[in-house]
Amino acid sequence: MAKRSRVKLTAGQPRQHSLVWVQGLLCGALVTLATPTALLLGVLLGPAMIGLVLDGEPGRPTGRSVALFSMAASVEPLKALWTGGHTMQGAANLVGSLDVVATAWSAAAAGWLLAQILPIAMRTVLEALGMTRSARLRAERTRLVADWGLDQVDGAP
Amino acid sequence: MASPAPPHSSEHLIANQYLVERSRPVAAVGGLPTFAATDRIGGRTDLIAVQVQRQFPARARAMQALATPIDGLLTPLAYGGSGDACYAIATAPPGPSLAARTDAWTEQELLECVLRPVAHVLEHLQERRVTHRGIRLDNVFQSAPGQPVVLGVAWAAPPAMAQPALFEPPYSAMCHPAGRGDGSIADDVYALAVLLLCLALGRPLLRQLDDTAILRRKLELGTYAALAGDERLPPIVGDLVRGMLAEDPEHRPTPTLLLDPASARGRRVAARPPRRAQRPIIMAGTEVWDARSLAHAMAVEPELGLNAVRAGGVEQWLRRGLGDAQLAARVEELVRHRYLDATPNDSESEASLLMRSVAVLDPLAPLCWRGLALWPDAVGTMLAAAMGTDAETVTRLEEIIEREEIGNWAAMRPDRCDFAVMRVDARHERSWLQQRGQDGGVPRLTYLLNPLMPCASPLVGMRWVAQLVDLLPLLEEAAGRVDQRQVKPVDTHVAAFISARLERRLDSELAASDGKSAEAHYLAQLRLLAQLQLRLHPGPLPALAAWLAAGAGPAVAAWRNRERRAAVGQRLAALTAAGQLAPMLAVVEDPAGRGVDAREAQAAVAALERIDAELDGIAGGAAGRAAAAFRLGQEIAAGLGLITLATVLAMAALG
Repeated sequence: MAKRSRVKLTAGQPRQHSLVWVQGLLCGALVTLATPTALLLGVLLGPAMIGLVLDGEPGRPTGRSVALFSMAASVEPLKALWTGGHTMQGAANLVGSLDVVATAWSAAAAGWLLAQILPIAMRTVLEALGMTRSARLRAERTRLVADWGLDQVDGAP
Repeated sequence: MASPAPPHSSEHLIANQYLVERSRPVAAVGGLPTFAATDRIGGRTDLIAVQVQRQFPARARAMQALATPIDGLLTPLAYGGSGDACYAIATAPPGPSLAARTDAWTEQELLECVLRPVAHVLEHLQERRVTHRGIRLDNVFQSAPGQPVVLGVAWAAPPAMAQPALFEPPYSAMCHPAGRGDGSIADDVYALAVLLLCLALGRPLLRQLDDTAILRRKLELGTYAALAGDERLPPIVGDLVRGMLAEDPEHRPTPTLLLDPASARGRRVAARPPRRAQRPIIMAGTEVWDARSLAHAMAVEPELGLNAVRAGGVEQWLRRGLGDAQLAARVEELVRHRYLDATPNDSESEASLLMRSVAVLDPLAPLCWRGLALWPDAVGTMLAAAMGTDAETVTRLEEIIEREEIGNWAAMRPDRCDFAVMRVDARHERSWLQQRGQDGGVPRLTYLLNPLMPCASPLVGMRWVAQLVDLLPLLEEAAGRVDQRQVKPVDTHVAAFISARLERRLDSELAASDGKSAEAHYLAQLRLLAQLQLRLHPGPLPALAAWLAAGAGPAVAAWRNRERRAAVGQRLAALTAAGQLAPMLAVVEDPAGRGVDAREAQAAVAALERIDAELDGIAGGAAGRAAAAFRLGQEIAAGLGLITLATVLAMAALG
């Protein structure tokens, strides 16, 4: 994984740098032109940004899940900020509201939890399917061996 | 006509007509145990039953030739096995044997009662191309003085087997008793001459000597001098006997000539005594003075004889002692050829050298091979006599046949035998011997060469089975005695016997299965016995069927499918009770069913391989499944997040 990351970094370095510049420019524009929105999103999407930074997997699956859930939880406060006049005071009130922040961060936690639990659940399901198939094949094999006296080729696990 | 009453336990019924009374033995005829016999249909009581010995089969061709009786000869009326013995039925001798008379016979009596009647019989035998080979004092009978004599039984055992050396020419006397062969009618003339001598003198000749000494004396002195010596004989008989005892059978008078004693007497034979050497050659501690005696000594002591030939002692003695340079040159040529043709340590080539040397030294001598002397037509009777009891003799005979030595021997004396015919016979015997497998080799050759020899299989015990039709009932009996799991119904002797006796050659079945699987062998046996039952014994054979069913394991096991196997076993068991082998064969063989079974077995093998591969994939796919589960879980989580976001956005947009 580390090797693959290193290879990827080496190969896409110029492009990633340009993306970082674009992202930085957009963020700078947002902070300058819509400071309340930037403040609100910065607080509500903080766990998502941390998750995206910390997720080392290719495609950042965990960070992506956390981000999507955080974004879903941020829609309603953002709508309230914009309908309330888009003021710093409004943004501060929302950021100071425990319900708003707790909801956004809980959504982020839920996204992280799903990203952790669902692979385990899927593996359990796949293993169960494999065991069922294996049992059926062994039964068929036993019948063939008994009916045709094929013990000499009985080398299966 | 009322059917005859069943015989008692001590009585045997031959040909459903002649009752052998084992409790009434009579004087031996033909040197064989003899019993009184009666004709239960015709009522005759003047019959005898001669018991044939198991290892010394009767002479099939002679019995066939004597189906029409000849006056003055005891001929067979019936022949057959009963229980554990075999008997030949003949008219009882008209009186005691000539051995019972101790007085000297007159010349008239000798000519009228012995010479003419016997010559008449020999003339008939010669017409039928058979010989008697049993003319001796105790096998010629006379009802009363002045009556013509009657020749006894000579067809119930191998030719001349019971003849003492006195009554046999040296070239026959030196053979194994069972190896004397049919010989020629001249040999019967020789025996008749000895008989005339004994009767003329009123006593057996050379009683103080054993057979070996008599033979040596005959070789050294010539037969007439050895037997008659200085005896005073009636003039006509003396002249006749001198010609009849000629060493060379071609010099003896024919039976037709003997019918007219005056003419036969006038026929002078230039019978020279054997050429005697100036000094002897020592062979086995014995002084030898003539070539024929040397040949005999070399035949009896093959190692010493071979050493003498190889060392040049024989050639030197022939050249300097005997003064026969031509004979010496022929022996020298044989030795030279032997060293050119073979490796020095080839023992069989050395035996061949000795055989050729003997044939050169004594053109009248039989085939001499490693101490064994026999006439080629007696190979069969010798094999029968030696089979199971004398392995060394069997080995010697195998060597003779394998190397076609009979042809080689005939080539040494082409003027005294039909070389081409003997070569072909030798080749036939070799090809029969070379057929290997259960039904081949020595046993088959023995049964082939002895058409009346009974089957020697332990399965039939001591029962007399000389015909195929008798074999299956005895196998049916044997089925109750043997361990059916361990013993097969077709052993080596049964296979060889069937192979030799069956007109249609089924022997290829067994030969083809030789060396193959137990299943193929079993099927060959079942096929053979089923054929026999169809052809010879249509009745049921339930015990034999059960025996075959018990040994059907390999054939049933060849069916791959368990259910079919069980079904075949059940069908076999059901057919056993009916005792018919052909349906059993059809069940076990069933080519169509076997084809389906084989195809389905192949499909099962393929399915099993596919299952094993899939199980291997499942067992080794844990890492792959884990990776897939991780990817799938993450995608589902992201999908849920996306759906939630879309839903919230839609709700926000709609108010």
